[in-house]
Amino acid sequence: MKKAPLVAIPLVLFSLLVIFLFKGLFSDPRELDSQVQDKTLPAFSLPDLMQPDVTYTPDDLKGKVTILNIWGVWCVTCAVEMPYLTQLKNEQNVHIVGLYFDQDLDPDFGTKTLSRVQQEVTDMLSRYGNPYAYNIFDVYRDTSLDLGVTGAPEHFVIDAEGIIRMHHIGDINERVWNSKVGPLYKKLVAEASGNDVKERKVDVEAVMSSNINAQEGE
Amino acid sequence: MLATDLMHCRNVPHNSIIAIEGNKKSAVNKARFKAVLLNLLVLMVVLSSFPANAAEDKFSFDTPAQRESFLTLTAELRCPMCQNQNIADSDAMIAHDMRRKVYALLKQGKTEQEIIDFMKSRYGDFVHYQPPVTAATLWLWAGPVLFIFIALLVVVKRKSVAPPEDMAAKLAKADEMLEREKE
Repeated sequence: MKKAPLVAIPLVLFSLLVIFLFKGLFSDPRELDSQVQDKTLPAFSLPDLMQPDVTYTPDDLKGKVTILNIWGVWCVTCAVEMPYLTQLKNEQNVHIVGLYFDQDLDPDFGTKTLSRVQQEVTDMLSRYGNPYAYNIFDVYRDTSLDLGVTGAPEHFVIDAEGIIRMHHIGDINERVWNSKVGPLYKKLVAEASGNDVKERKVDVEAVMSSNINAQEGE
Repeated sequence: MLATDLMHCRNVPHNSIIAIEGNKKSAVNKARFKAVLLNLLVLMVVLSSFPANAAEDKFSFDTPAQRESFLTLTAELRCPMCQNQNIADSDAMIAHDMRRKVYALLKQGKTEQEIIDFMKSRYGDFVHYQPPVTAATLWLWAGPVLFIFIALLVVVKRKSVAPPEDMAAKLAKADEMLEREKE
């Protein structure tokens, strides 16, 4: 009788091992903890892809909840998600900004001209839809490195204060939007417009009272 | 080509009337086989030496020490895309960019530790092949030591547990039974 607990030890250890391995079946080894979560965007000063004389800094992404989409024309999954992103922009007015980087543009050799990159981008956007408010051109891919980007597509949900609230690796499709990205985006939009709504309420009251005054005047 | 040549060599009969012709044929084949083998060898040497140099060819270093640092760092840093390769091995774009960044930082006079910290602040502890000791990773080191320690304890305890008095009583009983049988 006294030995029963001792006998149970291997069984318990085995069960623990089975549970551990079973969980391993469903864990994704590619899932890494993002280092930029809840931080402000790293400093950058990059040109617009289509108008190189326009320069963007992290300040340009403040004031509006933004989804920063890392993409390139060479990326197949980007092409797959593009129609859905366009749909999000058209139907839900989601603010999507592209951070474009080119694979063939080797900073050490520089084999491609800007006009060719622009042509490729225009072609692709006309084929799959254009979800972007504008595209930032990460020429040397330094900003991608600072953001901890490992490939494309990747998405950063940035709140109105310019703080990164989510780093999503992979594409955004209907399932991902409804279960992961969408709820946060809507929450952030609601938070950001919270102050505006209060102000608007005051405005409405002012307008209403002035209307009443006007009516009384009549 | 190579396979058919080998087959030829094996099929040639050595002790028949056509042996002379066959031997000639096999000699020719052997010579050809050797030439093919030599070519392959040269090709292999050329191919295997190429990627090893490719990573550093693009970069030129001020000092041999800097070059050494570059080679250690690219061997120690892990590619976040091709997860089981270091950035010296990997051909993923991110590995190219990381090599470029390591080189640029070395040129700026950063130390190896500073560069590792730079990469860790962007890609996490994952990016370095030397994991830090934290509460979660402590078990990698402590686990085996603990296991040995506990196993030793169990072994020692089991040996000392044998009750001598009980044994003596049993022996006495056995002796008694033997005595009884003798009678």
